[in-house]
Amino acid sequence: MKNSLKVERARHNLTQAELAELIKVTRQTINAMELGKYVPSTVLSLRLAAIFQVPVEQLFQLEETDWT
Amino acid sequence: MKSGYLLAYSLKKWGWVLLIFGAALGLVVLNLEWEPDVFNLVVPVIIDNPVMADLVIFRMQEQNLLDEMLGGLVIVGSMMVAFSKEKVEDEYIAKIRLDSLAWAVYFNQGLLFLSLFFVYGMSFLWVMIFNLFTLTWFFIARFNWLKTKINKSRKDEE
Repeated sequence: MKNSLKVERARHNLTQAELAELIKVTRQTINAMELGKYVPSTVLSLRLAAIFQVPVEQLFQLEETDWT
Repeated sequence: MKSGYLLAYSLKKWGWVLLIFGAALGLVVLNLEWEPDVFNLVVPVIIDNPVMADLVIFRMQEQNLLDEMLGGLVIVGSMMVAFSKEKVEDEYIAKIRLDSLAWAVYFNQGLLFLSLFFVYGMSFLWVMIFNLFTLTWFFIARFNWLKTKINKSRKDEE
């Protein structure tokens, strides 16, 4: 799964630490998500979408391999 | 993040104290076969199978409890270290915790499997004694190693 967290974070001028505080996770979690090492839960995805004020599909996109 | 099975974060450091104290003293007691009389207590024994004597089931009998107490300290200390919360709990750390637990079970059972075939006699008894504690220890080692690794990658990537 691809995501545009880093882009949205830059657009909102937030550091990983600031975003982490807003959605109540650690900075490591933000980093792992941005690197595609961790796929967040639905709750966390919706929290991110709420902070960035975008639909969740704009933040996360399925890839071909997600269908196999 | 809510979790039904995690202990308070503040217990982690006390867990380390109990674990290190119990393990260090336990090794000394086991090696010296030290059994001071003050630890001789009457306990309800469920089953005892002494060498050259009859099987005992459900009886009050005197036992030296020093090594049992130290073993108990190590078990309780290990559990406190292993399952106390992190300073900040979130779903990523919860995933790493569960992955580490699964890894530790595989690793522990793998070693046990090898020991079954390649370790015999009294040495195997030592394997069994250590195996009372190793599952939790392997988990603690793996979990802390992964935490260190993600801390490092965070600094590199930010």
